[in-house]
Amino acid sequence: MYRTAALFVFLLTALDSFSQADTTFNADRTLDEIVVTATRTERKLGNVAVPVRIINNKTIQQAGSVRLKDILQEQAGLYITNSFGAGVQMQGLNPDYTLIMIDGEPLVGRTGGVLDLNRISVGNIRKVEIVKGPSSSLYGSEALAGVINIITDKTYREKLNAGVRYGFGNPDNGWALPVGNNTFKNTDINLQGSTRFNKLGIQFFSNANYLDGISFRPFSKDKVAQPIWRLTNQVQFSYPFTVNTKLTLAVRHTYDHIKQEFAVSNNGTITNSYGREANRDLNINPVLIHQFSNKVRSSLRLYATSYNGSQKLKFKEIPDSSYTDEFRQQFYRAENQADFDWDKMTVTVGGGYTADQVRSTRYDDFSSKKTNTVLYGFVQHEWRPGTKTTIITGFRYDDNKLFAAAFSPKLAVRYKASNKILLNASVGRGFKAPDFRQLYLNFTNNAAGGYSVFGTIDAVKIITELQRIGQVAEVSDDFYRLKELKPEFSTGINVGGTFLYSEALSFNLNLFRNDIDQLIDVRQVATKSNGAQIYSYINVNKAFTEGGEVEVNWKPIKQVSVSAGYQLLKTADKEELQHVKEGKEYTRDGNGSSRIMNKSEYIGLPGRSKHMANLKITYESGKKFFATTRIMYRSKWAVSDRDGNGLYNTNDEFASGFPLVNISAGKTFKNHISLQAGMDNVFNYQDTDNLPTFQGRMIYAAFKVDLLNSK
Amino acid sequence: MKKNIIGALLISATIVSCTKDKTEQNVDPGAFSVSINGKIATVNNLPADTIIGFAPSGQPVGAGVYSFFSLETNKWIPNSDSATSKWDLAFSGTIIRVNNTTGGPGNGGAFVYVGTFDGLTSVPQDSVFRIDNHPTSYAITKGSGKGWYNYDGATNLLTPIPGRVLVIRTASGKYAKVEILNYYRGGVTPLASASDEIKISEQRYYTFRYTYQSNGTTAF
Repeated sequence: MYRTAALFVFLLTALDSFSQADTTFNADRTLDEIVVTATRTERKLGNVAVPVRIINNKTIQQAGSVRLKDILQEQAGLYITNSFGAGVQMQGLNPDYTLIMIDGEPLVGRTGGVLDLNRISVGNIRKVEIVKGPSSSLYGSEALAGVINIITDKTYREKLNAGVRYGFGNPDNGWALPVGNNTFKNTDINLQGSTRFNKLGIQFFSNANYLDGISFRPFSKDKVAQPIWRLTNQVQFSYPFTVNTKLTLAVRHTYDHIKQEFAVSNNGTITNSYGREANRDLNINPVLIHQFSNKVRSSLRLYATSYNGSQKLKFKEIPDSSYTDEFRQQFYRAENQADFDWDKMTVTVGGGYTADQVRSTRYDDFSSKKTNTVLYGFVQHEWRPGTKTTIITGFRYDDNKLFAAAFSPKLAVRYKASNKILLNASVGRGFKAPDFRQLYLNFTNNAAGGYSVFGTIDAVKIITELQRIGQVAEVSDDFYRLKELKPEFSTGINVGGTFLYSEALSFNLNLFRNDIDQLIDVRQVATKSNGAQIYSYINVNKAFTEGGEVEVNWKPIKQVSVSAGYQLLKTADKEELQHVKEGKEYTRDGNGSSRIMNKSEYIGLPGRSKHMANLKITYESGKKFFATTRIMYRSKWAVSDRDGNGLYNTNDEFASGFPLVNISAGKTFKNHISLQAGMDNVFNYQDTDNLPTFQGRMIYAAFKVDLLNSK
Repeated sequence: MKKNIIGALLISATIVSCTKDKTEQNVDPGAFSVSINGKIATVNNLPADTIIGFAPSGQPVGAGVYSFFSLETNKWIPNSDSATSKWDLAFSGTIIRVNNTTGGPGNGGAFVYVGTFDGLTSVPQDSVFRIDNHPTSYAITKGSGKGWYNYDGATNLLTPIPGRVLVIRTASGKYAKVEILNYYRGGVTPLASASDEIKISEQRYYTFRYTYQSNGTTAF
């Protein structure tokens, strides 16, 4: 059965005769795709000097993706982490360091530094732009590893379409039908439409997604993924006052409801909790664009967003007990950007003001609003001295109320060596301001041994007070190092190029290195009298990530396209690496005896795979039929420090590397009805210990109908 | 790095089964063993106040007892001899005590040396032996990352730090070097993914090796 499934797509390709018609694929055409995220101005991909990847709507549709996580996990060099929701690891850096935007505006509401990618429905996404490498010179904080910008559909022609996707799986028996205890079902419904009233364009999008929970452990009703309802509604308006002036307004609202019912076993005592988690996200974004002349253009952007997360639980064993966890964030921004175009150069100047406010029950006082404001400005100069060279220089200055100011410069060069070879090099500085949790957290986990985490603002005060009343057994050396947190900084270098071997074959290469300074680490700063730990945050580490990425796109015949990607990654904590080099770190032999660790045994940061690869084969017959197979591979990664030396080396515990195979195929009837079927995780790969939220094989069918379409 | 092939050697072991002391509830004499191979003795599975229940705060606790051990005789010392100089080390949870002032009448002392067990061929000239000041401080420093172990709060596992040697002055003033190899039953740390129940019930079993210099010199 496995083989049948895996060969399915290949067989389909064989069904079609090898037609000798002209190749519709053209590498040059790919390079003509428009990108906005790289420079904040519309540029052809081939003219951009930084590494950018575009995932277009067709790719998303063909992959059968419903949430942003689904499609990002199919990209080489991006890895989806599974702590605090689905986060994205880019160039080996944690999810905290990638800025995630919708139409150029950031999403807020991170938990543990992670913005859950499951929050974003892909139903009305026109494309996703991924810029790798520090981009703080344009976007400020968080754009340290890179930027993911989700561009929604902005067409206002008369249209109305509806789609539904139904999927199911059974982790215990991957081929079982959707009946029985251990089955999970996922239903996704989309409705999208747009129209014009005279000049006013209106578009709406609604999505509902229901996952009824996944249970992995055999004979257990405990669900690792609880039943989740996710609703997304978006309305967009566009009004061109004149040819040169346009106002757009986008309002997006999401609501996630997660039913909670779980048992926590704490030292042998089992507590059954039940209740719900609900998260609301609201984004409002009016933009006024005015073209003063063919040389000068200005865009005024306003943005207001709020994210409210709440969890309410009751405990079965303890009557009249309840637990409430609330997190509310509001983020406001006003920004203006002006672009000046000349023959040989473009200058972009912008500035703005943001106000960010958070209240949380995990901070000292839920009623007290924590606020940070930032006043910022940026300049970018794009110079095209000849037809072959583009040189981009730019910087941004962020004046934070809560932290030291950040200065983020960037230099990028693109050189067209020939019609076949494009070379890029860029160096930039990225930063991430400490987030509210690192400053204000005041959290004691009584359900898990009573450990506490205190943000740096009050950590010293609280611990000193606990010490005074005799609740602190000892403070560690790190306690004396607690002070005002500084932003984390990185310097990123990306060098690479594109080689167009022929119209049907192209190669992309990018080498990267990120040096991170003042990395914020969670450290144990004290121990309570009852043995529980007290943690806080300190700027301590210096780390680097480096590696290379290769991508090959090949179109052997008109109907078939093949793309393959590979990323090699190396990471290290610089201090640890220095100690290893000096022979100051030890590990153990099989019999338990200590010995000095070799440099070759050191593997750097945990949770990172050295090798990641993907292969995608797509067969398309006109616009009527497609079939695709995607294979993603990730090599093993370190999960825990088994030999106790406090760093990660080959003697530690690893999660096994694995391939993930997804297939899908679809057909369009009468130009307005599409049917699609697919299978994610064909080989039913599961690792309940290291990938607890990784679902087993899912089989799905999708149906989409264009009720109205004026093309 | 040279490959270590110690595992292939057959050990002419002297198994010393210990007598079960009446006051010690949690000693499993069958599990505890000492094997001697030349200068190096290895103690397997020495229980050290194993977990018997939970405090009201939820913390797992033992009965609050010590396992006394003599490096000189390679033997478990019964609790009734705790006030004598018959023992050199006393184990209870992560606390390892020496026989001196707050512990016993002996002349014990210790410090934690950073380096390999084999590489430590004699007690360094400038060594300063520390003594316990129970319960405030210990010669063998207590606490994660400070003395001989690391505790990972994420996995709830305790691991002896490689490259740490406990240099011991025994109750009678002789010298010994000790390397803690493991803290779990059978000398195997549970996997990070193991259940809390396993991590709790399997902990507090010491596996360690040592070399005792009986002639009173500092050379090992």
